Amino acid sequence: MDFSFSEEQEMLRDGVGKYLEKHYDFDTRQALVRSDAPWSSEAWQQFAEFGLLALPFAEEQGGLGGSISDCVAVAELFGRHLVVEPYTASIMLAGALLAASEGDVAAQALERILAAEGVAAFAYEEGAGTAAPDAIAMVAEASGEGFTLTGEKRLVIAGGEADWLVVMARQGVGGPVAGFLVATDAPGLEPRSYTTIDGRSAANIRFHAAPAQLLQGAARSLDRILSHAIIVQCAEAVGAMGALLALTSDYAMTRKQFGVPIGSFQAVAHRLADMKIAHAKARATMIYTTALAESGALAPRDIAILKGQVGKLGKALGEAAIQTHGGVGMTDELSVSHYHKRLLACDTMFGSHDYHLRVVGRG
Amino acid sequence: MNIDFAPELEEFRAEVAEFFATAPTPAIREAGRKTTSVFAPFQQCMEWHRMLYDKGWAAPHWPREYGGTGWSVEQRFIFAEEYRKADLPPLLPQSLGMVGPLLIDIGTEEQKAKYLEPILKGEDFWAQGYSEPNSGSDLASLSCRAEADGDDYIINGSKIWTTYAHHANRMFMLVRTSNEGKKQQGITFLLLDRVDYPGMEIRPIVGLDGFPEQCEVFFEDCRVPQSGRVGEENDGWSVAKHLLKHERGGGNAASPTLMRYCERARAAAATTASPFGGALADDPVFQRDIGELEADIASLAHFEKLAISGHAIARDPAFPSMNKTINSELVQRASTLMAQVSGVDGLARQLEALRVGSNVEPLGSEFDLISMPLYLNSRATTIYAGSNEVQRDLIARTVAGS
Repeated sequence: MDFSFSEEQEMLRDGVGKYLEKHYDFDTRQALVRSDAPWSSEAWQQFAEFGLLALPFAEEQGGLGGSISDCVAVAELFGRHLVVEPYTASIMLAGALLAASEGDVAAQALERILAAEGVAAFAYEEGAGTAAPDAIAMVAEASGEGFTLTGEKRLVIAGGEADWLVVMARQGVGGPVAGFLVATDAPGLEPRSYTTIDGRSAANIRFHAAPAQLLQGAARSLDRILSHAIIVQCAEAVGAMGALLALTSDYAMTRKQFGVPIGSFQAVAHRLADMKIAHAKARATMIYTTALAESGALAPRDIAILKGQVGKLGKALGEAAIQTHGGVGMTDELSVSHYHKRLLACDTMFGSHDYHLRVVGRG
Repeated sequence: MNIDFAPELEEFRAEVAEFFATAPTPAIREAGRKTTSVFAPFQQCMEWHRMLYDKGWAAPHWPREYGGTGWSVEQRFIFAEEYRKADLPPLLPQSLGMVGPLLIDIGTEEQKAKYLEPILKGEDFWAQGYSEPNSGSDLASLSCRAEADGDDYIINGSKIWTTYAHHANRMFMLVRTSNEGKKQQGITFLLLDRVDYPGMEIRPIVGLDGFPEQCEVFFEDCRVPQSGRVGEENDGWSVAKHLLKHERGGGNAASPTLMRYCERARAAAATTASPFGGALADDPVFQRDIGELEADIASLAHFEKLAISGHAIARDPAFPSMNKTINSELVQRASTLMAQVSGVDGLARQLEALRVGSNVEPLGSEFDLISMPLYLNSRATTIYAGSNEVQRDLIARTVAGS
């Protein structure tokens, strides 16, 4: 058993970490979120230069042949720095589905994504709030050589800016779930863009008989791709938890009330201890689940445990961080609330901990 | 990152399962099923210990040169998992998990030569004399006094919560040898060769579950040889802290036992009616409760596996305290759920039916027989080995600057 990052992974973390520390500090990030730009195109270019956009793809597809633990190694840093770029959406989800598809159109789109010349979004959620494909109701109707999509997809990260949408829908009424590619300059799309509570650009998109192309073969890999994306999203949450634990303990040791640091009060100290325990448990499960995936031994229950634990523990840690900070923890100015909102988003997307823990309990 | 799923490991699993299916006597099996504490019924537990020794499997966590197995992390986990699946009595921790590893680390050659083999073979059982009536969480305030006299110490005072002292033939203890300086500085760590020295008296304490698991030990001008000292005189606190790493750090994984509790609760819930109709196992609230518990136990298992594999997480100075806190609170939650499943069937006090070898039929199922005593006994887990309040103090101290 080996649960540690390899030397190469540590080097990658070192490089990406240094870049983010220098160019993606909290103030820069906040200026970015407040600006009209959905994310930083310079950061995205830099990610491409680090090889992150090509990381999980096979070499014959222009990728680096990286593993899930490579992606996790980087995603933990994304969480630490509250990165708003659509890595999970465009690379781990939409990109991975394109890579799993047959045909030239998918290959061409993927090539441009890897070169940071285009972005794909993943249109999946219809409001059920789980990752289970059963919840998908949108129907793709056959039309000429292709299909048309009608219905609504929600919380499509980068949905307002993407060049392509990878849409999961049923192939015909009552049909199996399949992947479809939609060019965002096609007619019949009505996106409504917004910024999420954790600073990312998203859209709810209505489809009115929008022309779509079947991504042959993509659905076969959907389970694996969703599982890997959930692991990466959880790694991001664990990174955010670690950062929040560190800055809350610093605050508790410097903030004085009644003439002493508040961390010297046992009630506060014990909350810090519980935060540390929560982070340790979430990180152990995140790392172990990554190793399971890497060894090809991942079961659906493992993903439910991971998503349930990281969601529950992350939310509890975020709430404890705000309470420990007191009034300033409530402000937009400090990063505390932003970490908490990232943790909330990570919990809510692809099934909250309530859902996943009941899945675990159902056995 | 990788986890080894080599076919040889499945062969190893089969070998372990085969041994567990065939070797234990009926009495040992009964003791395993009737274990309602960290501490299994003594006689059968030691009998099983000796059988494991004969097989070479008594101390998987010991270094190989001292009789450990030299197993990989995977093998140790497989062993622990199969052990729990077979519902066998866990070996007692005081000798194998505490004083044994301590002596391996810092004992003299004489002490190692004399004590390690009988521990490994299951011939000796050591009691742990730490707490005193006025020194619980504040252990360093202990006052049981030892005065040097020639080659001996003369001990006066008492110890309490000395688990299974009435079964022990040896005892390790902390005594006060000086009142100078800080309270931690005047403590000495002693090994007592016997527990029947003149002036030494052991009295069992009946616990809330009805069993005499704990003891009080009294010393009145009790003369013991100084050769039993581990470390220097007045340096016993650092010896004790070293031992605590073994006590709290868990050389053995606790998660398989907890998983087993959940399996038992699930099996019982499948045949228990929910007050809202159907089986309790299908009740959404029960599913949410057991799901949350099982996911938390899974995280402990992951934490333990990372630690045993040598991951940096185990080098965190707070690791032993985090491990103890997580584990102890999960034991309580699991036993709480078990008692909840038993409901009214857990209210009968059935001490005689719980005794190994008893011919008294339990009133309900075997699950209902053990769930309430287990719940009651597990109130101790957050108190012993440093209360969880103390553990959280220790963890919080490591948070600053993390």
